[in-house]
Amino acid sequence: MFSIALMKQTIRENISLWLVLTVVQCAMIATIGLTAPIAAAGVAYYNLLPGIFMGIYAIAIGNKLVSAKIDRGTLAYVLSTPVSRRAVVATQALFFAGSLTLMCALTTAVHSVAAMLSSYGADTAEVLIIVRLNLGLLTLALAFSGICFAASCVFNLSKHTIAIGGGLICAFLLAPIIAMFGDNFAFLHNLTIVTLYDVTDIMASAAGWVWRLVALAGIALATYVAGAIVFTRKDLPL
Amino acid sequence: MDHIIEITGLTKDYGDARGVFGVDLAIKPGEVFGLVGINGSGKTTTIRHLMGFLRPNAGHCSIRGMDCWRHAAELKRGIGYIPGEVAFPDVKTGLDFFRLQAGYLGIRDLARVHELMDRFSLDASAPLKRMSKGMKQKTAIVAAFMADAPILLLDEGTTGLDPLMQKAFTDLVREEKAKGRTVFMSSHMFDELEAVCDRVAFLKEGHVIEVADVSQFSGNEPVKEYKIEFTGPADYQTFLSRSATVSRRQENLNQVTVQTADQDITALFTALSDLEVRFITQVPKTLARHFIEKYQETEGQSHV
Repeated sequence: MFSIALMKQTIRENISLWLVLTVVQCAMIATIGLTAPIAAAGVAYYNLLPGIFMGIYAIAIGNKLVSAKIDRGTLAYVLSTPVSRRAVVATQALFFAGSLTLMCALTTAVHSVAAMLSSYGADTAEVLIIVRLNLGLLTLALAFSGICFAASCVFNLSKHTIAIGGGLICAFLLAPIIAMFGDNFAFLHNLTIVTLYDVTDIMASAAGWVWRLVALAGIALATYVAGAIVFTRKDLPL
Repeated sequence: MDHIIEITGLTKDYGDARGVFGVDLAIKPGEVFGLVGINGSGKTTTIRHLMGFLRPNAGHCSIRGMDCWRHAAELKRGIGYIPGEVAFPDVKTGLDFFRLQAGYLGIRDLARVHELMDRFSLDASAPLKRMSKGMKQKTAIVAAFMADAPILLLDEGTTGLDPLMQKAFTDLVREEKAKGRTVFMSSHMFDELEAVCDRVAFLKEGHVIEVADVSQFSGNEPVKEYKIEFTGPADYQTFLSRSATVSRRQENLNQVTVQTADQDITALFTALSDLEVRFITQVPKTLARHFIEKYQETEGQSHV
């Protein structure tokens, strides 16, 4: 099902970007956690920055995992061995989803610990909110990565993968910002998956936040599976 | 099992007459089979189908009776491959690359790799990105042969190699043949194929226009061609009146070219015995000449 040799190689190829983004996010969240309770500084942060970080990671890594290997032709050397296409796509997907999960787990841990060590001393309820916010963030990140992964599996050229996968992610991220420009643009809220990750609702434990995250997870699952199916069936110009 | 590699009615239409159309080839175990043709004639497309990278529009290919598309991964256990365009993965040196491939292949012992590196005087500790084209090609060759696979698919194996290394490659293929390996190789160089192949298929615009038995060429052809020059026009004319197999005459040089089957060679010498000959030379029929003739024959014909 998975190829350990390929997983090692994939980790080697992508570890640097993962490390940079993880360290930067942990550093930021630690600072925020130490200085203010979640209700004060947390909302602004979770609403804005992590989505962009996850988007960058999804676009860059998504392309590298499949499309770039076809575009550059290096996949030929993996597929000239007994590693099947199914194993290739499963391994790459596992790395993508796994690396995001680990990134979110680390930022959750850092934020929680920082909040507990801070002068205001976060209680269990506050930590629970931090965990929920990061869980939501993870589902959003997985949906982003799924979209980029599907694009990467569909297109043989990196430029197309980045244009379509990256374009969608950018549009999703920009839509809520443009929507703030007035009522005429309010409809954009309904055209982006970013609004499914509703920070305010999660913090207020308002109804429906769980279902919105389930929807994001559903998008992630559907896009990963669709990408994998396309990849195992298509012609590879290697 | 009669054939180890079977390609039946293989068709892949890329439009504008590009692709391969109704290719039928059958390769016996232990055979070295060559694929020749000008650029864009469908050699790489054929090999990509055998590798399971492409799915045929029609027809199918199988190796050891297993479909190349459906059983692609399983089949790779027994296949060594040189890609037409070599693109190395993101690793630092040639050695790192061999280790990576060994990992995929489940090989622990790298003795064969070192033996092959010596053979091609390859310093694989050099960074892949700084390697010359020839070095990269040597690296690709070592990778293809490192697993001692019983079947070798070599797409333009000697691209970028100097003549000395081309010979090393040819020798290696011969050795593999002696070990009973089956080799399916493409090239646009006739000499290379003539030197190692048992049979050669000639592809033109995606169609196989001829499969030739290499043993019938370059001195082994059963009907040989001789060029004879006479010292004077009188003998030249006398010979013409005696021989019926003259394929070409050059009167101003007193030269004739005759086609003579090996069993009729005595008759040729008898006809020449009382004539003054300046020289007689055999004109070998090379694979290249043969295919150029075939190519010209098919020129203008449509392949529908």
